[in-house]
Amino acid sequence: MFEKILVANRGEIAVRIIRACKELNIRTVAVYSEIDVNSMHVQMADEAICIGKAPSSESYLRIDRIISAAEIADVDAIHPGYGFLSENAHFADVCESCNIRFIGPNSRAMNALSDKAASRTLARKAGVATPPGSDGVIDNEQEALATAKRVGYPVMIKAVAGGGGRGMRVAHNDISLVKGYHTSRSEAEKAFGNSGVYIEKCIESAHHIEFQIFGDSRGNIIHLGERDCSIQRRNQKLVEETPSPLIDGKFKDLRKKMGKAAVRLAEVANYTNAGTVEFLVDDRGNFYFLEVNKRIQVEHPITEEVTGLDLIKLQIAVAMGEPLKLSQGDIHMRGHAIECRINAEDPFDDFRPCPGRIEMYYAPGGKGTRLDSHAYGGYTIPPTYDSMIGKLIAVGKDRREAMDRMSRALGEYMITGIKTSIAFEQAILQDPNFRRGVYNTNFIEGLLGGPRRELME
Amino acid sequence: MELKDIKAIIDLMRKNGLSEFEMERSDFKIKLKRPLATSTTATPDEPAVLPYAMPAVAAAPAAVIPLPTAAAAAPATPAVDIKSPMIGTFYRAPSPESEDYVDVGTEVNPDTVVCLIEAMKVMNEIKAETKGVITQILVENAKPVEFGQPLFRLRPA
Repeated sequence: MFEKILVANRGEIAVRIIRACKELNIRTVAVYSEIDVNSMHVQMADEAICIGKAPSSESYLRIDRIISAAEIADVDAIHPGYGFLSENAHFADVCESCNIRFIGPNSRAMNALSDKAASRTLARKAGVATPPGSDGVIDNEQEALATAKRVGYPVMIKAVAGGGGRGMRVAHNDISLVKGYHTSRSEAEKAFGNSGVYIEKCIESAHHIEFQIFGDSRGNIIHLGERDCSIQRRNQKLVEETPSPLIDGKFKDLRKKMGKAAVRLAEVANYTNAGTVEFLVDDRGNFYFLEVNKRIQVEHPITEEVTGLDLIKLQIAVAMGEPLKLSQGDIHMRGHAIECRINAEDPFDDFRPCPGRIEMYYAPGGKGTRLDSHAYGGYTIPPTYDSMIGKLIAVGKDRREAMDRMSRALGEYMITGIKTSIAFEQAILQDPNFRRGVYNTNFIEGLLGGPRRELME
Repeated sequence: MELKDIKAIIDLMRKNGLSEFEMERSDFKIKLKRPLATSTTATPDEPAVLPYAMPAVAAAPAAVIPLPTAAAAAPATPAVDIKSPMIGTFYRAPSPESEDYVDVGTEVNPDTVVCLIEAMKVMNEIKAETKGVITQILVENAKPVEFGQPLFRLRPA
């Protein structure tokens, strides 16, 4: 049994992890940068250790400082959350060599799925379809052009080390391909320290549907159903829901097929702990593997609400060596859950981030709502990290009830002092196509460009 | 100047709506500043009152909570703290048998090693980075320290 866990993260996910630990009677250690001294995760933890100045590169990404903190606090395990060091195989290795359990996948699986190109190869090995594209990293312009010619435009140029929706661009012809190839490489080098890019056919009118998987140390791997994350702005997810209206509405047999494919891929990679296998589904029900997210994800709460499971507790149990006491047949999805990511951004000013002090804060409540957030009245959102201040989740017995509840909750949510995406998400929830469950990854673009703009204003 | 004198000056300042007072004598200098009437009682940097008790930090910080209306009496020259640049365990001497690197009253230069901080089995010598005389040792030997934690207070030369 772990006695103490260090949470190597901040914001709402750090709060989420601390909450699970408290319920399990595990003591928690928070690490924080100087600017986060008043952050909720620091207040909630049993102990808190300052690990550096505000920039992530000087704090939350500093492996040496996090390990030092883990040592002086004498922790048994580290939960890396999402982002930051959660998918850093080197960090996982350092933890293990210091006798600290890393709450996440084993390093072998991390290495096998080390980048998007390697994962594509593994998927094909597992017999899972991938979008047509390159066989790995593209080495030069000629290869890029040849690949694009073979699969046909439009194509996506993607950074192999990218994540969180970053490091991808579309190319519609040879000229934009060559330009995009070089730009992507230098951007990737700067953002991810790895200039490798690969090319995939751009699946048009796609739906982003991902499957939550879980594996234990005995090789038992199951999936916990899908999440439809097609509502994205610039590849950043904004609204997620489960079950997927596309699967329930048009392609009911996809759940079993895609679930099986996700598990098979995880088995080939010898995956352990929590992970998510992402797919794109086209309008005809063909699905293509995209990548594996080797961590707990932002949108995990909607899976929790329909399956009744606590995924963070499950992560901790698996990390302690416990077997998954669940088989695929034990997993049932009941009801419908929707999540809206609440961002400190101004939707009326091109979603410009709006850090600053929250003056008045009234959180929504009532039956069927859940709020995972670190925000509070008087809290100053620092400018140094991402703009997400929380996640609002609504659960209902069916999609209709979940949507009505989400609209009700968004309407109650009051935050003054900063701008937020709440009004924009209300517009999404009211949109007729969203309500019908008919949408794909172009939805937000359409909403922003079209006549629906008045709905927001 | 005694505390009761300072209290009397503060009282006079408040009664007469004065915001600044400065006095210099051969042996000391004092400067008192009150915030203006229009400012709110809570400064922007004051931590919000939260329902949770402050967690027990790895080592007790020497943090000072800012008081809304009281003035800070300035000593002749302001004290400077040597802050920890890393996380680890603080040691006052190179080894258990050796003498402490520095003590109260020791004069230090920027390159003077003032302590060791051990992290992951590696001993790191911490330099003063400033010139002055140590006036206070803020952490006990062999206690854990965090980033930015004040280790020594000194009077700059």
